[in-house]
Amino acid sequence: MKRKYELVYVVSPDATDAQIADLHTQVEAIVQRFDAQIEKTENWGRRRLAYEIGPHKEGTYVLELIEGGGDVMKEIDRRLKVSDLIIRHLVVRVDAEQVVIERTRSRRTETMRRRRIARGLPPDRAPGEGQRGDADDDRDDRFDLAEVDR
Amino acid sequence: MNGSKRGFGSGGGGGRGRGKTGPGAAGAQGKDGQRRPMFRRRKVCKFCAEKIDDINYKDAKLLMPFVPERAKILPRRISGTCAMHQRKLRTAIMRARQLALIPYTAE
Repeated sequence: MKRKYELVYVVSPDATDAQIADLHTQVEAIVQRFDAQIEKTENWGRRRLAYEIGPHKEGTYVLELIEGGGDVMKEIDRRLKVSDLIIRHLVVRVDAEQVVIERTRSRRTETMRRRRIARGLPPDRAPGEGQRGDADDDRDDRFDLAEVDR
Repeated sequence: MNGSKRGFGSGGGGGRGRGKTGPGAAGAQGKDGQRRPMFRRRKVCKFCAEKIDDINYKDAKLLMPFVPERAKILPRRISGTCAMHQRKLRTAIMRARQLALIPYTAE
């Protein structure tokens, strides 16, 4: 059963670039052993942590998109837990959510087009047409933190 | 509240609590209205209004307004987020907290 997972891990700020690359190859090796693929790797670089984790105030974030079965992620999870360099990691299954997002998005454009045709307009909105865009905020009915009153 | 909001309220105050705000929100606003006749602007779910489908834990910038000073999750009655999006927001915030993208608490 092929599924998509997102793996984010936070590497200790003391780690060198070589060590980070080494971690990546370790993950890659596990992924290949289980006959899965890495679809994407993203290095977010060094970021400040929102709270201190042990002695650390910063960390290097790495994101990997992996397609494969659950057993791959189980093994990776186990290995990352053991690793000293990694201070946090998170595995999230994303395929189901992505399907839902796609569906709502396509459904919305579909209804929009249908309604526009019913009103006798071309199905796609021309730029600058119709109501004011999202950019101007003078209708001001959305939430921003400004009016939290307690 | 500042002047610009009140300006809009003089015209649209009567329409408060209509439509998508739901019965709970409408009741609370009615009570408020008696106590102080000043306009309370109608709350709209940010994610519905801006058509944000994907509330992602990686997008800390999107989530930050919903965890004010003490870093607690802002309740729906204040932010006006709809139930579905509040649920998604909650999971996103909890995931982001695990990765230290968002604080659990202010120190």
